[in-house]
Amino acid sequence: MQDKITKLFKAIADPTRREIFHALVIATSALSITQISDQFSMTRQGVTKHIKTLEDVGLVHINRQGRERFCKASPKELRMVNTWLKFYEQFWDDSINRLEDYLDNDSKNV
Amino acid sequence: MKDVISKEHVFNQPIDKIWSAISVAEEISTWFIRADFKAEKGYPYTFFAKKDEDCTDITGIVKESDPYTLSYTWMVQGTEAETQVTWKLEKVENGTKLYLEHSGISSYGGETAVKMFESFNGGWDNCINELSSYLKDTVHAG
Repeated sequence: MQDKITKLFKAIADPTRREIFHALVIATSALSITQISDQFSMTRQGVTKHIKTLEDVGLVHINRQGRERFCKASPKELRMVNTWLKFYEQFWDDSINRLEDYLDNDSKNV
Repeated sequence: MKDVISKEHVFNQPIDKIWSAISVAEEISTWFIRADFKAEKGYPYTFFAKKDEDCTDITGIVKESDPYTLSYTWMVQGTEAETQVTWKLEKVENGTKLYLEHSGISSYGGETAVKMFESFNGGWDNCINELSSYLKDTVHAG
């Protein structure tokens, strides 16, 4: 598990990969390696390498059709980051509410 | 990626009362989490998780305690993921404004963030949620 998440963080730590991933997220359909190479003025080899890294951590799914490979973003894996934020958002909201209740009750008792 | 949670809240209570609620162990234990805490710079505090659950405590070091700013590191025990919690109070008309900030999940780099997520995935969130409702019940029952 830890290995997987470490890889996930390494995968999104690279700015080029983040850009490629972002392009795939906003694309309405799967993009081929050729399309990505064109968009980023990169060699197919370079793109393939980045895509492979993203695929390894589950951020990208590749669908092979004939000689071309089509890539689709799978942002599900990033849900953990979101979950963490959402959890603490809620946690601190609740805590502030409890603090307020506590302060209100306390002053009534005085 | 956004990794800071910021909260603001205005209380209709005097600033010193809120300062004491967030910095005195007995008070923290009443409304927040059972605590071994001293608002002294360098104090290694512990927030105790519920005993009967398989939960982990929160520990950390008080980094700043100077009325009206209280700042401490926030670590889930068993991990090295260090995040930072800061409470700031400010006098406003008819009360006190609280600025609360919880930051640092990604600034510690992959390895550390990873452990944080790992422990988080391990169900630590359930612990705190249960703890929250437990505290809520206690406060309301009291």
